[in-house]
Amino acid sequence: MPKIVGIDLGTTLSEIAVMEGGAAKVLENREGARTTPSVVAVSKNGEILVGIQARRQQITNPQNTIFQVKRLIGRRYTDAEVQRDKKLLPYEIKEAEDGGVEVKMGEKWYKPLEISAMVLRKLKQDAEEKLGEKITEAIITVPAYFDDSQRKATKSAGEIAGFEVKRVLNEPTAAALAYGLDKQKNERIIVYDFGGGTFDISILEVSKDTIEVKGTGGDTHLGGEDFDQKVMDWIIAEFQKDQGIDLSKDPLALQRLKETAEKAKVELSTALETEINLPFITSDASGPRHLLYKLTRAQLEGLVREYIDRSLELVKQTLKEANVTPQDINEVVLVGGQTRMPAMQEAVKQLFNKEPNKSLNPDEVVAMGAAIQAGILQGDVRDVLLLDVTPLSLGIETLGGVNTVLIQKNTTIPTAKSQVFSTAADNQTSVEVHVVQGERPMAEGNKSLGRFVLEGIAPAPRGVPQVEVSFDIDANGILSVTAKDKATGKSQSIRIEGSTGLSKEEVERLKKEAELHEEEDKKKHEFIETRNNADTLLYTAEKTFKDMAEKIPADMKKEVEDKVEALKKVKDSGTMEAVKEAVEQLSQALQKIGSQLYQQGEQKGGESSEQDKSQG
Amino acid sequence: MSRFYNSMDEEKFKKELEELKKEKDEYLAGWQRARADFINYKKEEMERIGGLIEYSQAGFLLKLLPLLDTVEYAERIIPPDMKEDKNVQGFLQIGNQLREFLKSQGVQELKAEQEKFNPEFHEAVGEVEGEKQGTVEEVVEKGYLLRGKLLRPAKVKVIK
Repeated sequence: MPKIVGIDLGTTLSEIAVMEGGAAKVLENREGARTTPSVVAVSKNGEILVGIQARRQQITNPQNTIFQVKRLIGRRYTDAEVQRDKKLLPYEIKEAEDGGVEVKMGEKWYKPLEISAMVLRKLKQDAEEKLGEKITEAIITVPAYFDDSQRKATKSAGEIAGFEVKRVLNEPTAAALAYGLDKQKNERIIVYDFGGGTFDISILEVSKDTIEVKGTGGDTHLGGEDFDQKVMDWIIAEFQKDQGIDLSKDPLALQRLKETAEKAKVELSTALETEINLPFITSDASGPRHLLYKLTRAQLEGLVREYIDRSLELVKQTLKEANVTPQDINEVVLVGGQTRMPAMQEAVKQLFNKEPNKSLNPDEVVAMGAAIQAGILQGDVRDVLLLDVTPLSLGIETLGGVNTVLIQKNTTIPTAKSQVFSTAADNQTSVEVHVVQGERPMAEGNKSLGRFVLEGIAPAPRGVPQVEVSFDIDANGILSVTAKDKATGKSQSIRIEGSTGLSKEEVERLKKEAELHEEEDKKKHEFIETRNNADTLLYTAEKTFKDMAEKIPADMKKEVEDKVEALKKVKDSGTMEAVKEAVEQLSQALQKIGSQLYQQGEQKGGESSEQDKSQG
Repeated sequence: MSRFYNSMDEEKFKKELEELKKEKDEYLAGWQRARADFINYKKEEMERIGGLIEYSQAGFLLKLLPLLDTVEYAERIIPPDMKEDKNVQGFLQIGNQLREFLKSQGVQELKAEQEKFNPEFHEAVGEVEGEKQGTVEEVVEKGYLLRGKLLRPAKVKVIK
């Protein structure tokens, strides 16, 4: 079945997304970008260009490059908005015979919806190329404040582009869908959408099966680009102050500044300080001039504070018009790249006293929501076979009480994992398998699910027997643990029901406990490992002594024996540092013996020693 | 009587067998589908990872280009007599190191000057007077290809 796509047809940028493997995914265009500029042009040689290519030639061809046509779609020529935007847009706009708007591109007059259709057609073709299949159906989003005529025009644009438009969806509704907020009942959601050039506020009410728009507001001429301009103005003013040169008169410098200003703004969303560094920005009679400033996050916030404050004023006004108070709002959703700015997030959080939904990419959340709506229409959700996951890690207790995890938490079941273990002592003939569940690194902090003993292991030095422990969880969450001695084939197993059937509270409690004890557990774990290391080293020392008794010089023997005694003394009662120190001492003494034995071997070995060396 | 019951049983078993067969087929199909899905997913994932590596390399190289731009601005701006200075020469030689490095990574400079303006590879940042209309007169910032694909368009001035 061909896929239904979701399209965010934006004022400056557009995106297309599709459901894949149960999740919404934004598709890249032919140029490899996830966003396509909503720009169309007729080039000087009569070719129609769409997207980034149209934008690249805009400056040489401003009269024939149509951008921000969303401001005009479905409107009447006499609308106040059209009259205002007409003054700001460089292309020709006239009244159509039916009272609508027409724009001139090349020698022809086009309806705005025809321009949008060209953008949609490019999105369609690029997506088809990417997916390797035909696309015929789409959901297209529009601002919540779009009236019937604007919606109809958007739908027609989709149809001209070759889509069957299954639905025209509100952008804020799409954003809410992307966050799964449609499942809540009787909730009020505010969507704060601060895009590149427009700022939209929408208040939504979710009731049974419907999402209703309760109010809209905003400013169609306020956006992230205003922030970039502020940063640029600041740099120009600073440079004028320091160097007495007006960079705004230097087109080449301006070009470099523009990109740098945006980059600085973006960086300050994650960093507290950024460097604006443009060597050789310009030159005059006295030689080249370099630009180097530090801009802090606080400074940036000072520069754009007025815009943030203004956006909050607009939010309050919209709430008031909808007869809603900030306390009535259950969820806040942030949309648009500019909402990555921490000061903006904080301001919104303060107003509603609520953590906003911001985990999804704010540039893509609308397209993703549209794709999710498409998935719902297509019944993708119904076909999915629901598979459970293990809520907590499953493991066994190993030497020193360590929890060795075999199946990590959040692993999809059914699943199986196995690992080979060995004995901790010489001539050990049985092993105990203690199955535990939880995130603590030490077995004792976790939930014990059961234990059993595998007997009849053939006597052997420690570390030699191979016991394979297998965990198998079936689709019903029943866990079988089997231990098998690889030498004798003897095995023993246990069946544990309901290993995934913990109550939500229990899972939460175990997770929280793991978090709470993280530090102390880590230390304990490290201590045990140090002790285990000490054990191994002691074992090695004793074995070396036994095997090589005659070859070791007496003084060295004495030294090692002392160190062994010292380690034994602190191993079980001393601090971790003391054990570590003793381990270090002993291992150095052993190394001395090692190199002594090696030298002896070399003296005897003759030619082959060269080879040995290169291997070591 | 017993016969009657037997045939009833037979009917019942037959029906049950039918159902079980149907169920078995369904499960087998589901299992095969799941295996196939998984294998296909692995293949797609490998492709995706390959693409991702290429993409992240392109992203890294793209971030490196402004360094070379700056060196080239300097090359343009420093007066010829100053370029005789050994210290200046040394610094400008860093540009060659960068160019060599980029070349070794598969980055290739785009020819733009005196070419016909083409928005697939060029981004217009201004217009100038001149004779051949629609021709690139000046490259303000060089464009680059990465293994034949556009990495960054050239910023150019075009003849009006």
